[in-house]
Amino acid sequence: MEVFISTTEQILTTDGLPLKVSLKKAERKNKIRAFLLVFPLLLFILVTFVVPIGDMLLRSVDDSHINTVFPNTFEEYRKWDRNDLPPEEVYEAIFFELATGEGIQVGKALTRMNYSKSGWKSLIKKTRRQIKKIYKSGELPTSYKDTLIDIHEGWGDTLFWISMAQMTEERTLIYYWNAIDRTYDIDGNVVMQDEKRRMYVKTWIRTLKVSVYVTFFCLILGFPVAHLLANLPLRYSNLLMIFVLLPFWTSLLVRTTAWIVMLQQKGVINGVLVWLGIIDDDQRIQMVYNMTGTIIAMTQILLPFMILPLYSVMKVIPKSHMRAAQNLGAKPVRAFIRVYLPQTVPGMSAGGLLVFVLAIGYFITPELVGGKDGQLIGHWIAYHLKTTLNWGLCAAIGSILLAVMLVLYWLYNKIVGIDNIKLG
Amino acid sequence: MSKFFKAFLLAFLAFPFAANAVTVASWGGAYTESQIKAYKDTYSNPDIIQFENYNGGLGEVRAQVESGNVAWDLVDVLPDQAITGCDEGLFEDISGLYGDFIAADNGDGLIADMEANGVTNLSDCCGPQIFWTYVVFFDPDAFPGNKPSRIADFFDVENFPGKRGVHTWANGFIQMALVADGVKPSAVYTVLKDQTGAVDRAFAKMDTIKDHIVHWSAGAKPLELVKSGEVSMSIAYNGRVGAAVLSEGENFEYIWEGQLLEQEYLCLMTGAPDRENAIDFLIHSTSPASQAEQAKYITYGPMRASGIDIIKAGEPWFHTGIDVMPHMPNTPERLKVSVMGDPEWWADNGAEIDERYAAWMGN
Repeated sequence: MEVFISTTEQILTTDGLPLKVSLKKAERKNKIRAFLLVFPLLLFILVTFVVPIGDMLLRSVDDSHINTVFPNTFEEYRKWDRNDLPPEEVYEAIFFELATGEGIQVGKALTRMNYSKSGWKSLIKKTRRQIKKIYKSGELPTSYKDTLIDIHEGWGDTLFWISMAQMTEERTLIYYWNAIDRTYDIDGNVVMQDEKRRMYVKTWIRTLKVSVYVTFFCLILGFPVAHLLANLPLRYSNLLMIFVLLPFWTSLLVRTTAWIVMLQQKGVINGVLVWLGIIDDDQRIQMVYNMTGTIIAMTQILLPFMILPLYSVMKVIPKSHMRAAQNLGAKPVRAFIRVYLPQTVPGMSAGGLLVFVLAIGYFITPELVGGKDGQLIGHWIAYHLKTTLNWGLCAAIGSILLAVMLVLYWLYNKIVGIDNIKLG
Repeated sequence: MSKFFKAFLLAFLAFPFAANAVTVASWGGAYTESQIKAYKDTYSNPDIIQFENYNGGLGEVRAQVESGNVAWDLVDVLPDQAITGCDEGLFEDISGLYGDFIAADNGDGLIADMEANGVTNLSDCCGPQIFWTYVVFFDPDAFPGNKPSRIADFFDVENFPGKRGVHTWANGFIQMALVADGVKPSAVYTVLKDQTGAVDRAFAKMDTIKDHIVHWSAGAKPLELVKSGEVSMSIAYNGRVGAAVLSEGENFEYIWEGQLLEQEYLCLMTGAPDRENAIDFLIHSTSPASQAEQAKYITYGPMRASGIDIIKAGEPWFHTGIDVMPHMPNTPERLKVSVMGDPEWWADNGAEIDERYAAWMGN
């Protein structure tokens, strides 16, 4: 065969080009055109998705700035045997780096140092002016250690020096450890954070718990609704569909506030219960400004994300299947479990995954109705982003959130299979 | 293309590039409304000033400065953020210009005028704005017998039954807890700084009413909570309570003791697109007259002493023709029972305490 082809003359097009070349050319044109068509989308995804996520991952391990401000101090710090207070060399290095460092660069470093130990910021701010004065006077001290401790006793506090162990790596995992209530001790070993401050692990567990509850309740509540929608005659189901969509189109804030009015102690539900005599006036139930409120409000808000995929899957399940199963002798319950339910799995998966993903990163609703124990991890991302400017910790929390999602996705794929997902 | 469509497109395209405008980022609501009336409307060239709402914090400020794409000129920030922002170079050092700021009638310059009010200017990058406070208030009708009058009553659910409204972060509440526990208001920060276990002491006091707290997070919430009877007393921003009483005719009373006085600053962004005009507007808005003018629309107190003098001389000062001084947080007798915020200490310790507070709340 090969021999035959190689010996025959090439087929030429009218322009005298070999057909193969001409075909390739035409195809390349098409390919370029196709690429150009998707290029804006590709660029969009790159700019809005890939770059920010990459930036977040980088930030979560980046501690390079402080290492450019105090390189010599950290160099000497690494040599220190970790006994008592650091040696003269460490004090000398930080003395010069504070005296000569550029204001804004040092300022940025201070914000970062304060994450590791509250008080770094004011310690350095209070002493820096005097350090500069001594440096400018030209009469350098014989002992930098004594001089610094003289200026402010904080320089003799070992707690500050212990915390420095958290800053000396340019690529660091400290933010990840902080995000799960852990920190480094003076030797760089991972230890638990001060007991009173431990709350990230609790918040993580709470976030997962609320997300699982919300997904579960959405499924329980959404399934019958979707079934009804899919099986009622069109004129009724359209009306019902509006009832599902209307809240979906209503502002999130309006719905959240409405739930506060419903659930609070002097609210509608408690009022009705008291009026009916089910509970006494002084026994009003606290249903909002806590986790209960968060779960109730989020379930209602996310319900359409469960109902709509379920509905679109149920809509195309032929009614004859159930009838056939029952004809063949299955009782209605058995027919439902063995024949109908398995066919709705793609819808349940799509809805479940959608609700869970939205719930795990939810911010505004828990913020408003969460109160004492209903706030989720999103609250802390916002807090550190805005208030403490600890963007490393923000990025670490965000990356963990991403990782949790990927693990769940992987688990899901193992158990149910991702091809099984269906939005309609 | 129709004319209308063209005009629409032009307006749409031109909007983000509105040239020669000073953009002031502020908190929105009645507060920004009062700034617009007191600063912008009284300015010689009001058309070039535009206010924009933001959610507070330095997050957006840092993002703008780091990316080199600065859209704001002036930002309204909390005092600890004025310090941090200035340290980090997010705001521009304007301390050299303080001499150009409008002096008080008695000749005091900006800095001296603030010191007369008990404040040292915190940051070299900002101009002073107002005092606002975390204050406890209640509806007197909820207490037919004895009415609460001291901050200790807020922590006494036996004699003053009902739930308490408290915010979801620590600042304000822990200072009140210390005052209720017997610390003199003026000594609260000294105790926090010098006594080990002072924070523990505050938390122990907070424990005594822990089960009676309803936690709010949005500034309008405490008013609803008290009005609906959900709680009998609540901590709130004093300006919100003042607005409810003066503008909406609500009947609320304050417990001034233990209130936490916080400052508010207007800071100049590094790389502000319209720097010259921004500085001019900053000077205008920090003048005693502008500061006093603002109290016509909201009950936050001027940070410059001379601003208060103008208000006192002009009573009834509120724009509806009511006396405003009864609602001002920083009258001399109220200052005696108030805690003066120490933003430097808070900038140092705030994050740690907030984390601890969150752990405490959720337990």
